[in-house]
Amino acid sequence: MGFYWYQSDPDLLEAEQMAMGKYFPSFKLYKLEDGSGRLYWRGKVQPTGKGGMVWDLMLIYKNTHPQAEEGMYGGSIQILPVKPRLVDIAKTLPIKPEKGLGLGLPHIYRDNFGRNEEYFICTADPKYFKASQTRSTSAASSLSWACKWIMLCEMWINGEVSDEVAIEGVY
Amino acid sequence: MNNNADEDAVAARRRALAAALRGGEDVVVTPSGEVEFQSEAEEQGHTAIQVPDGKLARRG
Repeated sequence: MGFYWYQSDPDLLEAEQMAMGKYFPSFKLYKLEDGSGRLYWRGKVQPTGKGGMVWDLMLIYKNTHPQAEEGMYGGSIQILPVKPRLVDIAKTLPIKPEKGLGLGLPHIYRDNFGRNEEYFICTADPKYFKASQTRSTSAASSLSWACKWIMLCEMWINGEVSDEVAIEGVY
Repeated sequence: MNNNADEDAVAARRRALAAALRGGEDVVVTPSGEVEFQSEAEEQGHTAIQVPDGKLARRG
């Protein structure tokens, strides 16, 4: 029995690797070098296709994986855009809390990461997020959520969808 | 087809994908991360993961 989820449940780690290898083979698995023991996937996606932005992403497992803590948006896997950084995009946008845009961008949350506070993609409402011993959400499914968010976010920034994108339950 | 027509077609496809997401229809994501209709992925022989059901959460 190991300390970390991937030690105590190697079958789950293998399932995660198989899913990522099948659906997102360009992503590679690493361990954070901060002593936390947390694993993460890193790779690039282009959700709007050719001509769209390329996003460099980290998918970081919490050490509670596959258990999601109560009220935690995004469950036990955090999605951190490395380039572009959401905090940099958000700085250029107006803050409209009444429209769900309190951080400038829709469906994001902030958390500490290393020495910085970063903005993460808020991939799913906790009530939709599958997390239990028998049905965990994988990095692959989290990444598919993130690609959905990125496509909608780019469209919103370009004025192709309205501020309704920030309303829970619309998209 | 000129560049403007190409761009219009790409924008129309993006809007159709957004409408599908809004309507709760199934869409998939390819290994490059591109969001596509299931039918497009099948036609092009892409291995693609279906975006799980559910809506984006409000936060922030």
